[in-house]
Order: sequence, then structure tokens, then C-alpha cells
Amino acid sequence: MTIALDYEPVLLTHPGRTTPVSLAEYEAEGGYAAWRKALQKMSPEQVVEEVKAAGLRGRGGAGFPTGNKWGFIPKSPGAKYVAVNADESEPGTFKDRELIEVEPHRVLEGIALCCYAISAETAFIYIRGEYVEAADRIEAAIADAELAGILGRGCLETQVNVRILVFRGAGAYICGEETALLESLEGRRPMPRSRPPFPAVEGLYRRPTVINNVETLANVPAIIDRGSGWYNSLGTVPRNTGPKIFCLSGRVNRPGNYELPLGAVTVRELIDDYGEGVIGGKSVKGVLTAGVSAPILTADKLDTKLDYDSVQAAGSMLGSASLIVLDEDTCIVRAAALMEEFFRHESCGKCTPCREGTSWLFKILQRIEQGRGAPGDLDLLLSLSGEVSGKVLCALGDFATSPVVATVKQYREEYEQHIDEQRCPFPAW
Amino acid sequence: MPLSNATCEAIRKLVDAYPERRTALLPALKLAQGDVGYLPSETVVETADLVGVPHSAAFELVTFYTMLRQEPPAKHMVVVCAQLPCALRGAEALLRELHDGLRQEIADGYVDVERTSECFGACHRAPMARLGDEYRENLTGPAVSQLIQELRRA
Repeated sequence: MTIALDYEPVLLTHPGRTTPVSLAEYEAEGGYAAWRKALQKMSPEQVVEEVKAAGLRGRGGAGFPTGNKWGFIPKSPGAKYVAVNADESEPGTFKDRELIEVEPHRVLEGIALCCYAISAETAFIYIRGEYVEAADRIEAAIADAELAGILGRGCLETQVNVRILVFRGAGAYICGEETALLESLEGRRPMPRSRPPFPAVEGLYRRPTVINNVETLANVPAIIDRGSGWYNSLGTVPRNTGPKIFCLSGRVNRPGNYELPLGAVTVRELIDDYGEGVIGGKSVKGVLTAGVSAPILTADKLDTKLDYDSVQAAGSMLGSASLIVLDEDTCIVRAAALMEEFFRHESCGKCTPCREGTSWLFKILQRIEQGRGAPGDLDLLLSLSGEVSGKVLCALGDFATSPVVATVKQYREEYEQHIDEQRCPFPAW
Repeated sequence: MPLSNATCEAIRKLVDAYPERRTALLPALKLAQGDVGYLPSETVVETADLVGVPHSAAFELVTFYTMLRQEPPAKHMVVVCAQLPCALRGAEALLRELHDGLRQEIADGYVDVERTSECFGACHRAPMARLGDEYRENLTGPAVSQLIQELRRA
């Protein structure tokens, strides 16, 4: 593999490894130094300020500034909670799984620092039910850290208590939506809440709650240990700082997780230099950058830099940085139908436009792909999408229309060919 | 079939482990399913009573989450991800091979091969399947024949 860049990973510091890094190994490599530093030398406010100065933005998809989120938590007494979003279910996303399976203590140290910063004593790791191996590993890591006196009651011989509980889901993408996650933790159907109140005011058990993604929290130990100045040297200040794990999948020779500073490479460089190019030397038809939840980037946008602002300027979103590569032989209608099948399956059913709309969008896409499309179908897809997007309580409904709208607009001739010829011109899967 | 004493004890412990008892409901249902194999109505009711929540609260979850089952499962449950990253790397071919290779076992209800549009976070090792709770990844070539051999009745 050609490494285009001299970069020392910060999050996945053991590339290629599949076994968990033990507590002893983690500490030998400088682990929990940030936790010691925070407890011995920093106030909770200073931790929040350092994370703000670092410019860390949420790595789960929305990109919200993490320090600001922590700063919203009221200082008033009473219970506060941290909920760690490990429900990773976006198609094409497999970074939190590797972080938890291989670097469990880095994740735990980040959680502990977040607890300290907002004065919470209890954190829940909400992990998707299918990640059994990852959940087992992080539970074992918690036990090790508690036994060593690093976490638990009286962390590192201070008065600070941090109790981390692993909560296993049971198969529902919607639980990655932060208020649905809270509903699930409270033992109810995971259907998103209407906001306000926001979780920082009324979250878990109606108490102030911070909800952060696994990768977001895994960034925090390095920020506290090495400082926001160092962190700002990775990527570009102020809005695209720090490392990001790029999940590369689809028609590339070497799919995998690649950690790089934000904006360090373009989509093309990630595919060619890290993914070792497209299978069979084919050309790229399009690349999804945020799993199936944002518009597809067409082949003329491959020189877009991989950071939040550049991908947005190119007409999509970096999101969780889950890049799915579609080659010239991929039928775009079939791909869109498959993405819509996902949303139809995962819509929680609370908002009628999403529940009904995803189902109809899927059926129309499917009939076009199967050679039964009608001449007005493309306009129908666009108008139906307009009836879903923006008319629902959570982002799932908006995400669900983007594969449709973007592909109809950008690959319209391919859709029309399906309808005109009443067949799919591409090879079967 | 009533829950075993060990499961009842584990569920009672769960109720005490969380700030509010209803948080224990989902993990309790999963324990109950692990014990009985699935969640028939009487098991759901028994679990709700142990957690101390209305029966409707428990049915609300059982009828929502895909990992909770109201019907008894086949001896071996194979779930193949057919979402885009896997589809781009041969998920449909994998499904065909499994259906062909396990025709008798599927007809007998011994093996269940299911296609899902859900993603399991193994896109870099696609195509993949879940065999029970286990991940089976990079399922191409000899790995598929091996899986089929493993699932054939001895």
C-alpha cells in the first residue's frame, strides 16, 4: 500500500490488530495519563474549555461541536448522565466496532473524562445488540479498570466516581437517534422525542444528559493529554480539526478503516492510495460519503477533500465518514432501491410521512429497476420525497429521501433508460 | 415453559442495577429469550411481572426489536446482510449458494437463511452473515462451502 502521508494514528494506534489492547499495554503506551492529569490538575470547566479549544466536532454524523454540547449541561446539583452512542448501524460504518474491539480503554478514558467534565457519575454505553463481541470486550475492560482503581468508586484515589454500564440493544437503527436511544434506555419503544426540551436539559430519566458517539469520545484523551494546540495542528482550524476514521467499503480492492487528519486526503486519494483502487481497474460511478444517509458524490467530485466543509461544499455530508464506492457496473436504481429498503425497514413508524413514504419510495424504485416503471415515476419519486423530508420528528425521514432525490437528479438518464427499455441494463448481482 | 430459577434471579439483579426499573426490561427480555429460545406470550408476561412493569410495556418492545422473537427459531439461524456494501461484494451470490447448498436443511426447518437490508458493521469483510450471535465474514469461495458443510446435518 502506498502511504501518501506521514501520519501517526491517534485513535486506532494498532492498525491491523484484531485482539483487544489490554489495560497493561494501554497504560504502557501512555494510556490513562489524560485521566490522571484531569483528576490531579484540571477542573471540570478546564476540561470542557480544552475540548472547545480543540474544535472537536461530533464524529457520529452531525458534526456538532463537542465542547459546546458539554457546556450546555447546567451546573445545578443532581444527577447527570452520559450516554455513549455505540449503536453504529449506518450502512458502511464499522469504525466504532473496531475502536471498541481493539481500543476499549481509549474509549473508556474518553467516557471518564466526559463524566468528569459534566459532573456525571453514571455513563451508559448503548451498544447495538449484534455487537456481542465488542460488548463483551468493553465489559471486560471496565472490570479491569475498576479493579485497578482507575474507574468506579473513588477513581485514582480521589472523590470522583465513574460508573460505566454497558447496555445492549436489540436490533434497531433508530436507536442511534439520540432521543430514541434515551427512550430505549428507559425501557420504552425507541421512538424519537420532540424537542425541546433538549437532552442537555431533560435527557435520560429527565435529567441533563450528554450523548456522544464512541469515536468522538475516543478523541478526548489525546486532547487532554497533548493539548488543544497540538490537536489543532491536525487538519485545519477552526472547523475541521483532528483525526477522523474513514470507513472505506464497496468496490475497492482493500476496504477498511483508515485514520487520517480531516482534509488530509481527497476521496480519490483514499480510494487509490489506501483502498488500492477500484476492483478490476473499473472507473468510479459515484461515492457515498455518509453511508446511505446523504447525497451521492458523482465521479466529477472525486477531488473533494475529506473534511466536513469540503464535502458539504461538494453537495453532500461527511457524516460518519462511511465511504461506499460504486463502480461503473453498479446499477444506480438498484442501489437506490436497496438504500430505501433499509429506511423502510428502519423507520420506527412514529411519523406517518416517514413510515408510509419510505415504503412507497422503495416500491417505486423497485418497480423501475425490475422494468415496470411508468413515465411519471421520476416526478412521483421527487414529489413523494418532498412530502417526507422536513415533515418528520427526526433526521431519519430526511436521510431516507436523499438517496432518491440525489440519484434521480444526478443519474436521471439511467433511470429513464430503465423506464424506456422496461428492463435493467446492468448485470445481475 | 416457565423461566428457570437462575434467569429469574438474574432478572431481579438487573432491576436493582439501574436507576429506574424499566431500564431492566429490554435486558430482561433478552435473558428470557436466551433461556426459553424465544418469547411466547407467557414468557413476556412472566418477565414483565418480574421487572414490575405492565405487560403492555413488554409487548411494546417484543413487537418492535428485530432481535426479539415471538416464534421458535430454527436450530441454526443464518442472517445474510444484503445492504449496499455487502451487495457490492457478492451478498446475493452468497444467498444463492446458501439456499442451494442447504435446500434440505431449510425445507426441514433445521436451518433458516434470512436476507436482511440491515447493516451489521462488517462492510470491510463483506459479504458476511450472522450465524446466531457469531459473525462470519469474508464469505467467498471456500469459506462458503465450509459454512455449508458445517450447517449440514451430520
